[in-house]
Amino acid sequence: MTRPSRGHAIAAGVVIAFALLLPLAGDEYALVLAIDILIAALFTGSLTLISGTGGITSFGHAAYFGIGAYASALAATHGYPFLGSLALAPIAATVAALAFGALCVRLSGIYLAMLTLAFAQIVWSIALQWDAVTGGSNGIIGVWPPDWLAGRTGYYTAVLGVVTLALGALAIIAFTPFGYALRGGRDSALRASASGIDVKARRMQALAIAGGFAGLAGALYAFSKGGIAPDALAIPRSVDALVMMLLGGQNALFGPLLGAAAFTWLTDALGRATEYWRACVGVVILLIVSAFPYGIGGALAVLRPRFRRT
Amino acid sequence: MSLASLAAQLLNGLASASSLFLISAGLTLIFGVTRIVNFAHGSLYMLGAYVAYSVGGALGAYDDSALGFWWAALAAAAVAAVLGALIEVGVLKRLYAAPELLQLTATFGVVLIVRDVALAVWGPEDRLGPRVPGFADAVYVAGHALPEYDLLLLAIAPLVLIALTLLVRRTRFGLVVRAASENRVLTGALGIDQSRLFTAVFALGAALAGLAGALTLPREPANLGMDLAVIADAFVVTVLGGLGSIPGAFVAAIVIGVTKALCIAAGNVSLGAFTFALRSSRSSSNSSSWRSCCWCGRRACSARRRRCRRRPQSRSSARW
Repeated sequence: MTRPSRGHAIAAGVVIAFALLLPLAGDEYALVLAIDILIAALFTGSLTLISGTGGITSFGHAAYFGIGAYASALAATHGYPFLGSLALAPIAATVAALAFGALCVRLSGIYLAMLTLAFAQIVWSIALQWDAVTGGSNGIIGVWPPDWLAGRTGYYTAVLGVVTLALGALAIIAFTPFGYALRGGRDSALRASASGIDVKARRMQALAIAGGFAGLAGALYAFSKGGIAPDALAIPRSVDALVMMLLGGQNALFGPLLGAAAFTWLTDALGRATEYWRACVGVVILLIVSAFPYGIGGALAVLRPRFRRT
Repeated sequence: MSLASLAAQLLNGLASASSLFLISAGLTLIFGVTRIVNFAHGSLYMLGAYVAYSVGGALGAYDDSALGFWWAALAAAAVAAVLGALIEVGVLKRLYAAPELLQLTATFGVVLIVRDVALAVWGPEDRLGPRVPGFADAVYVAGHALPEYDLLLLAIAPLVLIALTLLVRRTRFGLVVRAASENRVLTGALGIDQSRLFTAVFALGAALAGLAGALTLPREPANLGMDLAVIADAFVVTVLGGLGSIPGAFVAAIVIGVTKALCIAAGNVSLGAFTFALRSSRSSSNSSSWRSCCWCGRRACSARRRRCRRRPQSRSSARW
């Protein structure tokens, strides 16, 4: 991954400026889509930290998303204020990530993928079956932002602010000494530990951070949809995150945003155009995996020097 | 719970363990040789059920004709085998060197495609298969109905285990499979055509999945959610049995199948202050529609399992 440079900062500034101007267009549906994209970008960004930077294959990232969403939705329906409910989500998801990380941090490869999948399935079945608390398959409804954020524009601006800060934090974390230690553990765990890096401890910290940000994304999602249902933490959502990560590029700075924007827009457009949008998504997945394993961001990174030379 | 109802639940669990074993055996066989965990295995299972439904209908399996169902099961296995080989050649051949993440994601792409193909061909309604001629009734033990078909399934799993063991231990193909599981590179160096071997193993595993789908059809209707529902169980079984071990998968399938049935029979389980209503996790993404069915574990339901039908899946919940 290239270090954040002045060019990246300018690009980010331009994106944010455009994002701030979006409500002026007056298109209600564009705002709904933009909120979805921002939340998906944060979700993908948190996965990129552990999976791209840390090399921890996670096939159950939706678990943290869902735990955050359920935590904030439960808090909100029990009368907690909006900001308190929102703050509870990353805390709950971090605790879950730490508890689960203690089990899986030693594993790698296929066993890690299976175990994360199993963990997500456990969380999913608890959400589905604990009717008394989670509302079972109907989930929790009536979770809306407070009056001062009630309008679509207001909530969009709030999500934009939170996601910008969070993605910025994730980008900075990836280039702190901690981030480099994570990469060391990813590329050669043996060599990293020989040079004094406690690889397991770094991985645990990365899991905790990523879990927290995923939980935050979940809470924003619950408030944007007015509720939460168990399918928000089912297998397909974990795969969505992976696809968005691969689509954007695992090691591209703007990867999460690019991947989330492309994927969310694509599924939305396909979903409206054809009944068989799932198959189209499947074809896109196969294309990415076989033709562009480094995603849009990776393709751009390859193209850029070529343009400069000519 | 009386002893007889316990026995009935046990039989129920063993019968579902039987098809679980067929699926997991294919999954574990494929993993042993190719080191790929195949998400699309559940899709092959689902496709097997749908193909058996259609072929069975064409062959008159619904009019109690004697062999229609078994031909349909064979056809399902064959179709699944061909599709498995196509998936291997078309998608996975390029991915053997790729990280697990890409492999799993790619096979999930196949899951999505197969699901929409099934939606286009068979529609969103559930399809309940024919009763198997000669095994349509139930044996009554102390007032509890034990479906004959469940007893038949009980016999099929050990037969398949024996057949697979003979295949792996006694034939040249099995020798090559074992060698490739031990060391792929060396096997290639000895002049074995790995490319063909992988395709053959994939087709064999897929055929087992398709067969399992066909054999499940008289017990449960074919539906669009069964691919992901079964793959989660099958993953648990293969990991529990040890990735790559067929006898391990057999034991693990029995453990999982029976545990699940007994938990469902036990109904509510109290953990501390909380009471969980244990339901089968079989219901996966569209579980809400299983609620009123006794297959889901509600003790209140008095209908026999094979008579239970799900409500049509609502379109809104179908969008993941």
